[in-house]
Amino acid sequence: MTTSPEHHVVWDWTVRLVHWLMVILVLLLWWTAEEGMMDWHKRCGLTMLGLVIFRIIWGFTGSWTARFVPMFRRLGSLGSYVRDLKNGSHKPVFGHGPLGILSVFALLGALSVQVGTGLFSVDVDGLESGPLAIWVSFSTGRDIADIHELNFDILSTLISLHVAAILVYQFILKDNLIPPMVTGKRPVSDFAASTVPTITAGFWAFVLSAGIASGSVYAVLHAG
Amino acid sequence: MLNRKIGLLCTAVAGVVLLSACGQNEDSEAASDSAGDAGAAVLANGMTVADQVKLRHDALEDIGDALKGAGDQLKSGSPDMAVIQAAAASIVEKSKGMEDWFPEGTGPDSGVETDALAVIWEDNPDFLTKVSDMQGAAAKFNEVAQGGDAAAIGGAMKELGGTCKSCHDKYRKDDD
Repeated sequence: MTTSPEHHVVWDWTVRLVHWLMVILVLLLWWTAEEGMMDWHKRCGLTMLGLVIFRIIWGFTGSWTARFVPMFRRLGSLGSYVRDLKNGSHKPVFGHGPLGILSVFALLGALSVQVGTGLFSVDVDGLESGPLAIWVSFSTGRDIADIHELNFDILSTLISLHVAAILVYQFILKDNLIPPMVTGKRPVSDFAASTVPTITAGFWAFVLSAGIASGSVYAVLHAG
Repeated sequence: MLNRKIGLLCTAVAGVVLLSACGQNEDSEAASDSAGDAGAAVLANGMTVADQVKLRHDALEDIGDALKGAGDQLKSGSPDMAVIQAAAASIVEKSKGMEDWFPEGTGPDSGVETDALAVIWEDNPDFLTKVSDMQGAAAKFNEVAQGGDAAAIGGAMKELGGTCKSCHDKYRKDDD
């Protein structure tokens, strides 16, 4: 990861790729479920499983802005961050600000529940079911399917809030968040601090994380 | 000035978002309030409404359970034919008399909580055709299951599941 004199790299390529793939997959997953295209729903669901597992592992092995421990630490400044927002003195933050961090945990949590319940769901006819549903009873699988459906409402609410927040930041706070999520870069002039961490996405860290994620999906496919 | 704009906009957006999310499951509260008294009404067949609804709900759940059991066997590497055959036989048994499970007065306006939709009685001949389709598919599945041919069994199972689905699509409340 190189930093030119004018730009910092804030988001490594895997964070960006996973983020946008998740956007596409959520839409596909919703639509295939609506249309009853369960074969595709399952394929997309397993892909999403891989992405979620990867992202969680990457939260420990990836670049600084992807890691969960620094995010937890930054939550301590939530109070002053919100105060600054209220009295108009908001300044851009390198990586996720404390509000964004709450959003990361909420969205990743809801997404994990969605994918997890999908694995064990059974439909009302007993015909279509997730790959791990063989391990639960019909009645349990139906209950899990109910959670799978209810959680989607929660997930879509969180997604709507996320999009709304980004729009508020972009157009009202003039804090440019969308282009960096595509290119990874922000102007050096955006940040007050003179020292920002140089973020690196390690090659072997990626291989390890992707390997575990793929292996998990493979295991699920061959369960039972 | 800026914070007020943000505050108003955030509230407005949050409001719209919550409204749209909440708008999804409007009809789930339907007729479950006066369940106590309403369920006690006695039908021509001698059962109370509550008992009739419970009987068909339990039987249909058992059928779904059996179908899942058979399906899980087929999904595994080595299907246990005995389990599949038992499931197929039980589905035939459990679905006997299904044409009599939905007498007048046991629908959504009976006051008892049920997933049965009013259209069952509005389009009763078609509904009954679907019931008999299911029973026919169940008999065929049972017959094929005796043969032990996994591929043929899979096909018959899919057909049976198809009859379940085609009835549910029109006559059962959509909760998934």
